[in-house]
Formats: sequence, C-alpha cells, structure tokens
Amino acid sequence: MKNQEKEILDVAFLAGNILLESGAEIFRVEETVERIARAYGIEEYHSFVLTNGIFATYANAQGEIFAKVKNIPVSNARLNKVAAVNQLSREIERHKYPVEEVKKRLIAIRQMEGKKKLTQIIASGLGAGCFCYLFGGTFGDAFSAFLTGMVLYCYVLYVSCYQSKIIANMSGAALVAVVSILLFQMFPQLHLSNVIIGAIMPLLPGVTFTNGIRDIADGDYLSGTVRLLDALLVAVCIAAGVGAVIIAYHNWLGGIML
Amino acid sequence: MIWELIAAFFGTIAFSVIFHVPKKFYPYCGLIGAVGWAVYYLLREPAGVVMGTLGATIVIVFISRIFAVRKECPVTIFLISGIFSLVPGAGVYWTAYYLVVNETSMAGVKGMETLKVALAIVLGIVLVFELPQKIFHIGTKDQ
Repeated sequence: MKNQEKEILDVAFLAGNILLESGAEIFRVEETVERIARAYGIEEYHSFVLTNGIFATYANAQGEIFAKVKNIPVSNARLNKVAAVNQLSREIERHKYPVEEVKKRLIAIRQMEGKKKLTQIIASGLGAGCFCYLFGGTFGDAFSAFLTGMVLYCYVLYVSCYQSKIIANMSGAALVAVVSILLFQMFPQLHLSNVIIGAIMPLLPGVTFTNGIRDIADGDYLSGTVRLLDALLVAVCIAAGVGAVIIAYHNWLGGIML
Repeated sequence: MIWELIAAFFGTIAFSVIFHVPKKFYPYCGLIGAVGWAVYYLLREPAGVVMGTLGATIVIVFISRIFAVRKECPVTIFLISGIFSLVPGAGVYWTAYYLVVNETSMAGVKGMETLKVALAIVLGIVLVFELPQKIFHIGTKDQ
C-alpha cells in the first residue's frame, strides 16, 4: 500500500473518530468517512460504525486490503466539534486540500476547547431554573433550582466525572434531592417537587435519547438500541438517586412530603 | 405565557451551552426551544400531554431541518437543544416519587405517561426525518 493512500484512510478515520466521540449519529459518521475517502479518489471504502467503535476496510486497485478497527469510548456531547468536522468535510468536497492540511485541521478540531467550566456551571443553573419555571414552579422555586443546578454541575465537573456512569447519575440525582430538601427546610414555601424536577434536568439523557431514536430511524438498530438502553439506564439511575433520598427524608427524618 | 416563552428560550440556550454548541447558533437554538414550547403549551390543554409532545416534536424537528440546511451545519445541533425541553424529566421524577411513597397505581399511571411521551418524541422525530431532504432546500441557492 502506498503511503499516500494510507494517509487518506487515516485522515478519514480520524474524522469519523472525532464525530463519534462528540455525539454525532452513526449515519453521519459513516457518511463523512466515506465522503472524505471518495473526495480523494478512493471508491472501495467501507465502514461499519457502532456506538463505541469504527470498523473500516479499503481495497486498492491492486486488490490489497487494508483494515482498521478502533474502540471509541462514549463521552459527553461536544457539538462544536461535530459542526467543525462537518464544515471541514464540506470544504474538502469543494476545494481539495492536501491531505496533510486536513490532518492538521482535524487534530486542531480534536483539541478544540469547550466552554469554560464556570460558563457550564452557570448554564446548568440557568437551564434548571428556566425548566423549573416551565414545569409549573414559582419564581422562588426557579431560583432554588438555579442554585441547585449550579451545585449539581460543580459536582458533575469536578467529582462524578471520575465515577462510573451508574454511580455518577445516582449520586448526582441524590445530591440534587439533598440540596433541594435543605433549601426546602430553610424556605418552607418552596415546592420541593418542582425544584427537584428543574434541577435534575442537566442530568437527563437528552442527547443519547435523541441520537438513539435517529439511529433507529436511519436503520442502525444495533447502535440505536444501545443508546436507548443507555438513556433508560440513566433515567432509572436518576429516579433511584432521587427516590432513595426521598425515602430517607420521609421515613427516617420524618419530613413532611411536599 | 410570555414569561414561559422567555424561560423556554433561555433554558434551551443554557442546554446548548452545556452541549458546547458554537456561539453563533445560540439564538436559533433558543428560538426552536421557545416555538416548541409554545406548540406544546397550546396543544396540552385541548389534546393532552402526549399529543402536545408529538406536535411540538414535529415542529421542532421541522424547524431544525430548515435551519440545518440554511446554516449548513448538522441538524443534531438544533435538534438536541430544542428537543430537550420535551424530554420527560418530570415524568421520571413523579414515577420514582409515587413508587417510593408506595402509591403503586399512581406510579403506574405516571410511568405509562412517561413512556407515551417518550414514544411521541420517537414518532415525531421519525416522521419528520422521513420527509425528503429536497423540501428543505426550497428557496436556497441549491434549488
């Protein structure tokens, strides 16, 4: 295999890798990888993408076969990277960049900074507060959800990122319930349920759920099922975390429900 | 109603920040969230929560696809942020709540409702993604 061909495959594969780990649908990953390969004149390129891995093979004119397999662990949604890779693949189709330059740009995209942690924490609080209000909370409830949402995201960014998914979601939801109950103890006019509902919003598996549905709609049943199962698991963990704290509050501390 | 629209607008933007959506798309994400919530709000009384969710999902996915074509970016960016307001977080909470206070029948009711809302979102997304891509290019330079 010529060096140039190998380079093209690596670049296409890297693009797929970034897309998959940043929360793109399976269909987009397969399409982008094949599109980049085709833009450089490689027709016999086939990829098979799952939620946590890419399998790609390529056969050149001499009949030599090249294959690459990589496990790609699922991480958080980084939609800026999805947008950037998508933009790059469009540009490649229009004006053929040299492969080296594409590689450089992909590596730059991979290292792209996300939003600052403080910004994310404030956004989490704001989202929690707004949705608490939408689900019927008062302004007081919304403000409590704002505070709880910020506490939650500090926990998510600094502590629970080192834990397994199950424990991270259960403990995060439990933390939300504990903080909400503390606020409720201080200000009894709050509606405890509304505060909790708003503040658990940042934990909800919206990305996984939406992508799972889209994968199934595209016919990628295997990946879609895995993602929906993942979303269900997260939802159950959140319910368990909140539920455990409510049981403790109700039974052992004699708290008044609602 | 006006306060709810503002809350939906900024709530949706807040979640698009968490998902690292590029800054220039914030207003579009917020708009989609607000419109989706308005549809849900208007349909919820006459048609129920499930139909409200279905209607809102259809509108959200439709607008997301329009914006994706106009802005030349993946539809995921608008869709994920916009749909977030419909994900049945409250349903999950109430199901868990009634389970732990031993009101099993209410837990069943809320659990079924949560499932139905989730299915409504599924149906809405699948329906609108079946529409051919051409429709969304009408009026753009590709047409």
